[in-house]
Amino acid sequence: MSDAPTTTSGQRSRKDLACTSAANAYQKQFGADLKRRVVDEGEPFAIVQADTPHEIFHVMGIPIITNQWWSAYISAKQLSNHYFEVMAQAGYPKNSCKYCSLGLACTLANDPKTAPWGGLPKPTVLVARMTCDCIQHVFGQWADALGSEFFPMEAPAWEHKDPRWFAHSKDQWEQVYDPDRIALAVTEMRDLITLLENRTGRKFDEAKLQYLMERINEQEGYIWEAAQAIGTARPCPVSIAEQMPNTMIPQWHRGSDWAVNHAKRFRDEVMERVAAGAGCATQEKIRLMWIGAGVWHDPGFYQALEERMGAVFVWSMYMPFAGPQYIRELQGRPMDALASRVCSMNEVLHLPPWMNGWMTSEAERCGVDACVVLLPPENRLSQSGTKITAEALEKAGVPVLMIDADMVDAGNWDHDKMVGLVADFLVQRGLA
Amino acid sequence: MMIAYAGPNLPHDLFDATGRNAGPLTWNIDRAMPAADRWLESKFAPWTRSVVQDWADGALDHLEAVVFTRADDSAQRLYYYLCELRRAGSIKGPEPLMLDIAKIARNSSVARGEAALRKLGEGLGVDSAALSAAIATGNAARREATPAVAATNPVCLIAGSPLPDDRMHAMIAQAGWSATGRTLADEWADRGPEVDETGDPFTALARQLHARHLDTRGFYDRSAALAEQARSIGAKAAVLWLIEEDDTTVWHLPAMRTVLEGLGLPVLVATRRDWSCRDGIDTEIAAFLQGVSA
Repeated sequence: MSDAPTTTSGQRSRKDLACTSAANAYQKQFGADLKRRVVDEGEPFAIVQADTPHEIFHVMGIPIITNQWWSAYISAKQLSNHYFEVMAQAGYPKNSCKYCSLGLACTLANDPKTAPWGGLPKPTVLVARMTCDCIQHVFGQWADALGSEFFPMEAPAWEHKDPRWFAHSKDQWEQVYDPDRIALAVTEMRDLITLLENRTGRKFDEAKLQYLMERINEQEGYIWEAAQAIGTARPCPVSIAEQMPNTMIPQWHRGSDWAVNHAKRFRDEVMERVAAGAGCATQEKIRLMWIGAGVWHDPGFYQALEERMGAVFVWSMYMPFAGPQYIRELQGRPMDALASRVCSMNEVLHLPPWMNGWMTSEAERCGVDACVVLLPPENRLSQSGTKITAEALEKAGVPVLMIDADMVDAGNWDHDKMVGLVADFLVQRGLA
Repeated sequence: MMIAYAGPNLPHDLFDATGRNAGPLTWNIDRAMPAADRWLESKFAPWTRSVVQDWADGALDHLEAVVFTRADDSAQRLYYYLCELRRAGSIKGPEPLMLDIAKIARNSSVARGEAALRKLGEGLGVDSAALSAAIATGNAARREATPAVAATNPVCLIAGSPLPDDRMHAMIAQAGWSATGRTLADEWADRGPEVDETGDPFTALARQLHARHLDTRGFYDRSAALAEQARSIGAKAAVLWLIEEDDTTVWHLPAMRTVLEGLGLPVLVATRRDWSCRDGIDTEIAAFLQGVSA
């Protein structure tokens, strides 16, 4: 997710694919260009959550900084502990949600010498869906601190509960996501467009959105094709340590020529490895699923047991999510199709029955032997749905290990201890 | 059969109009709750644990349905969990329902709330005439509400997370002070201001709910509201108490502390606390108030 260097507390991940380095290099250059545009040249930009309609900004040519990407960037720069301390000194309890608030902390610190890019300038707007109690407060205060405006989006109740949503979401999205929820999201997006047009003078063009959505479908199609191949191939050709950057870096730029071409290149490299019988591990014995955000401070964690035990992390949400949650038949209504993409992006990953329904199905599709779940102790949203999902997986015959750790806080993370935890679990459950 | 509700910012007048209002769910946190341990993660508000345990134990089987609010994250999240546990056959009990309260200050959110209210009314068999009558009765009750009696002892304001019951009030009384602070039951039972009786009752009730400030999702200046409360009750000291699971008020703690101290109030800040108050807060409060009195 980040182009920033790996921390010294964690371990670097091994790269098997040439395209991984290309993705990281692109993101590094993008980061430099973004800094130039928004910091040096003062171009209008927005700070947005990952589950908001980035497509609108892409169509309007407005740069965005995604909160989760910025958090991972700060974390990878080894600044997270510093900013947690800044928040504590400002009087915030130490158990407040860290993933959501690192960017706010960086702004409140108001220390250009320390901050990445010298700190973010004033954005045109901050946008977030209200998927958890903390978000409106974090973004509201962040907007105040930056002298900007917060544009919240509703996360409406979802009463149509289809555990097999992923089987119908590409073409029956109106039924899956509820027509009234889609209509609300469209209304909000049109309000957001009006705000952006008024503030920036840039215009939104629905024909451009139609084209972008088609390109995104092409891009996500390549990723989904590769995900299906990874699910069936033995051995697993690509660990999640490389699945993540090759999915998520293009995802931040979805629909752009680079993103579509990179997704195709990634698909091709995966297929080449499948055809050659190349695997992550010399002798793959155990196929592991990872549930949760990536441990951005220790990417080497995912590959640590490949040679020692033949245990390979073959699945994380980022790559297979590209199919059911991104690909949309446009049906002549690109705004509605986009709304169906964003109006449940968080819910399907964190709430039953969508989360457990999808992940149990994915475990079966990918021949998963065991699962490791990240349980951040101070993040309700990231914890959400994990116990019910773990129970569903166990019922389906997949042993589950839950580990208390945070994706951006390395404070309670010890690489060797965590690897040992997984190794012991695999032994205890008779898999190694 | 009866219906009950869980959470703040709910339409009490509509519940009354059903003629089957059993009132709010209650909680008992001073017990083992294995069902909650099994299904709920640690950041859920503590009351949810008791509700899940009661649901699993069959203690709510006398109810037809329970209405949850989206104006509180734990409440709305719990709704999905209970629906799934019922679908899987892990629990039985009443049907969970959701009222999709939308709180953003935008016309589309107001409209969303109104549509949700009409849908709930239809599901519970409440038409406009019945709701109008219930609103009229509810407004009369609001007008007749007895104002709080002025305290004779100095007043200590309790702010932060809603309290489980009056156990902290008792701790403060023990120190010779009078306590003012809202319990979670107070929040859930709060009917809010009078509802406009001149137009469509669903529209009027939806607008009243949308404008309310008491829930975790309301958009308002919490520190300014706290300062106003402290002034209005003539507080001489304050306890800012936040539980481990709080995901809302924690973000306003620095501002709240600043406004209270700006009013010249001594403030005891207690964060990451146990909702059951069995973590030594009684001793801390006694020492704090003794110091203030000295």
